[in-house]
Amino acid sequence: MRFDRDFLILDGAMGTVLQKRGLKPGGVPEVLNLTDPEMLIAIHREYIDAGSRVIYANTFGANAHKIAGCGHSVEELITAGVHNAQKAAEGTDAKVALDIGPLGELLEPMGSLSFEDAYALFAEMAVAGEKAGADLAVIETMTDLYEAKAALLAVKENTSLPVMVTMSFDDTGRTFTGCTVSAMAHTLEGLGADAIGLNCSLGPDGVAPIVAELSRCTRLPVIAKPNAGLPDPVDGSYSMGPEAFAQAMLACVEAGATIVGGCCGTSPEYIAATAKALQGAKPATHIFDNTGCICTPTRVCRLDGVRVIGERINPTGKKRFQQALLENDLDYILQVAVEEEDAGADILDVNVGYPGVDEVAMLPRVIKKLQSAVTLPLQLDSSNAEALEAGLRVYNGKAAVNSVNGEPEVLAKLLPIVRKYGAAVVGLTLDKGGIPQTSEARVEIAKRILDACLAHNIPREDVWIDCLTLTVSAQQEQAMETLKAVRMVHSELGLQTVLGVSNISFGLPNRPFLNQAFLLQALAAGLTLPIINPNLRELMDAVAAHRVLSGEDAQCTRYVDRFAGQPTVKAAVSESSLTLDDAIVRGLKADAARLAKEALAQQDELSLVEQRLIPALDKVGTDYESGRAFLPQLLSAAQAAQSVFEVIRTSIAQKGGSPVKKGKIAIATVQGDIHDIGKNIVKTVLANYGYEVIDLGRDVAPETVVQAVAEQGIRLVGLSALMTTTLPAMEETTRQLLAMPNPPAVMVGGAVVTADYAESLGAYYAHDARQAVDVARKVLE
Amino acid sequence: MDISEVLRYAGVAPDADESLVQRTEQITQELCNAISPRWVWRVFPSIDLPGQTAQTMLTDCHSVCILVCTLGAAFDARLRAMQARDMSDALLLNAAGSALVEEGCDAAQREIAARFPQAHLTDRFSPGYGDLPLSVQPMLCDLTDAQRRLGVHVTDTFLLNPVKTVTAVIGLSDRPQQARIRGCAYCSLRESCSLRKGGKRCAL
Repeated sequence: MRFDRDFLILDGAMGTVLQKRGLKPGGVPEVLNLTDPEMLIAIHREYIDAGSRVIYANTFGANAHKIAGCGHSVEELITAGVHNAQKAAEGTDAKVALDIGPLGELLEPMGSLSFEDAYALFAEMAVAGEKAGADLAVIETMTDLYEAKAALLAVKENTSLPVMVTMSFDDTGRTFTGCTVSAMAHTLEGLGADAIGLNCSLGPDGVAPIVAELSRCTRLPVIAKPNAGLPDPVDGSYSMGPEAFAQAMLACVEAGATIVGGCCGTSPEYIAATAKALQGAKPATHIFDNTGCICTPTRVCRLDGVRVIGERINPTGKKRFQQALLENDLDYILQVAVEEEDAGADILDVNVGYPGVDEVAMLPRVIKKLQSAVTLPLQLDSSNAEALEAGLRVYNGKAAVNSVNGEPEVLAKLLPIVRKYGAAVVGLTLDKGGIPQTSEARVEIAKRILDACLAHNIPREDVWIDCLTLTVSAQQEQAMETLKAVRMVHSELGLQTVLGVSNISFGLPNRPFLNQAFLLQALAAGLTLPIINPNLRELMDAVAAHRVLSGEDAQCTRYVDRFAGQPTVKAAVSESSLTLDDAIVRGLKADAARLAKEALAQQDELSLVEQRLIPALDKVGTDYESGRAFLPQLLSAAQAAQSVFEVIRTSIAQKGGSPVKKGKIAIATVQGDIHDIGKNIVKTVLANYGYEVIDLGRDVAPETVVQAVAEQGIRLVGLSALMTTTLPAMEETTRQLLAMPNPPAVMVGGAVVTADYAESLGAYYAHDARQAVDVARKVLE
Repeated sequence: MDISEVLRYAGVAPDADESLVQRTEQITQELCNAISPRWVWRVFPSIDLPGQTAQTMLTDCHSVCILVCTLGAAFDARLRAMQARDMSDALLLNAAGSALVEEGCDAAQREIAARFPQAHLTDRFSPGYGDLPLSVQPMLCDLTDAQRRLGVHVTDTFLLNPVKTVTAVIGLSDRPQQARIRGCAYCSLRESCSLRKGGKRCAL
């Protein structure tokens, strides 16, 4: 079926119509497909008579999670739902859509449901829908872009149905999870949706501005299926009648919608009125803004100026990062990312390839970790096609891939993956013959890459070209060739340009100075995507200055924000009399790290921990116990200690030694409990007393805890539960742990846990993080 | 917003180190600039609630209002991002979130009162307190359509997600309502409450 002719009229609400006919809230409305097919057929038929050319089968919530316990299978409910709609459509040209709504459970990182499990739930629906004979699939009322992506992939990979996707935006122009209209459009169009739009949430008057924005962000046909206004809290009635709704729908059409229908509160009368109002109306012209971008749900990085790609998530030449990869220390990698974000990077390059690391497993794991706490879009950096696909699959938004080159085999292997997941791609101007020595030859390769991308339906704005920085101390004439190539690719081909800047200075003294000089010249030549270390002030200052000179930084606002009120020369370090102990007690992270580095000149790592770090932490701990200090201060001190530990780890990693660790503690929030800040506080404090804390996360099954203890020889387990409803899970986990052949000690804590309760379980009680340290000492030392 | 409430949730005494209080103020201010509470409420002639406390509270009420108020997933995302940066700040943000969602409930309650100028409202009463079990959360969220209208989910263990979400029941009556259900006797945390152990009480 095609979506691009004139208008296409969808149906209106099913749920609120069923409620009007006596359905109670709660329960499984899809069971009606089997118990009352006549009512559903009648409703569908009324919509067709009103002018609907697509009717949504009553399958919105027919996923295995939502229908659990109803006595019917997904396939039964979906088959019946689709067949009812087909009966209603007999003898008409109306098409039947398999309707796919949200799963009713939040995906990670908000909830506990994994992306892979969500995909499986949707795939089951999609397969059943196609088998039952649906003409198309619609994914609707989504508020989480990640869930929408799981559903869209499930439909596209398991069926050949055309698919429309609509999400619900509130009056701020975002979904409940913060997803923007632009991020939705770029992600879902890239993934191959046939039409996209919005449904539910507001009336047509409220959604019209959102429709207008969406029309600018996509080449696809745009859908508007809003509510009949807002419901009244007293009687539940919706605020707009059919005529008012139909008139307001004209505003959505003017804003660019061509596929229209109604959601909650609408009925066949609303669709009839809308169909009538549309007679004689013409679809509005779409004005698509083809500025390139990549994005996460909450943040779109528009490529209409210089955008800094942070290079720090990369093990090359970094012992500490290599160690983190080998130890699966994702917290460290997240720390690196957070620093880059705070330093002003716009995009983060992610490279986790290292001998001994399974990149295919590691890349998606790192991506999931990063997108739980960083809002920047990512550039996946690998030459391993399998790792790239695994990474792109779990990435939430539109990513970039670094990289392909001019080699036909490489292009043929990677571009289909780039296309499938709708990513942007970096093309290196080299091929089998190596890096061409002239700018003209590099531009030739760039053209070849561009042509190959276009042939794979990757749009021009998603093709980024890296003209390659060579080391100036080795090939001096190449610096200018690179700049010439950048200029040609930027001005003649009109493409985004990427360069790894710091290569230029390899082997020379005062590298930051040379890097800065090269960066400024490259930016002037048309470099738009420098790959740099954003923590280096010289480079970020240069970018800020360039943005002023190029006019990108209008009224110099960002430049002024960056520099105004700051001393031009870095102030001398705070207090010369500050000791390491003071710095820890007062929670001064940077000072503590600096002083620890100095101290390591005098004493070894272990004695620094035992003689300086732990006593300082104990002092804060004692103040906390006596009420002179409070938990935030205890945590600040712990984090200052963390920065000292980081210095120690780096120092040991450089020497190739093994890290200082005082014993392993596994820690988890029990199954069913999703509140984990308490557990994280305990983790922070324990880690900074030198214990190796294995964080099993939140909502952890007893079996998972037992398995971790058995596999890693753990002698102490900390369990947290916040609510009375999850105490049984704490009991069960403790029971299973204590029944192990060589049982570990267990400590428990959390808002509803008491000392008596802990004793009844045979566990230690830790009222707070400080007491957890006391228990750890008792058990492990 | 009332900083003393935020400090109370964070377990920090009002006379704590000035820099800590200032940090709390700053984090609270940034939160209020970024996130506003959202709520839905619906009024029913009556609803079936288990337990004695709810019944006591709703004696001589002609209708019952269910309120759901949340800071949304944006708060959870902010808290995750903050935990990756600084646990101490995250603790303060968590406390500020608790105070902010309560403010949202206050504002919603004023909205309800304005809609029923003749009625007298009871206290706000939430599952998990007294003998009103958490297991009523799915019903309260279904009746208000909170998943679709606010993005609020209830887990299998009856926890609300996003984390700063409050459900409450408020009675509407023709007669002035005395505070019937305040104090430690009605609080499910009375056994483990650290304030109570120290011989103190919270404001509720």
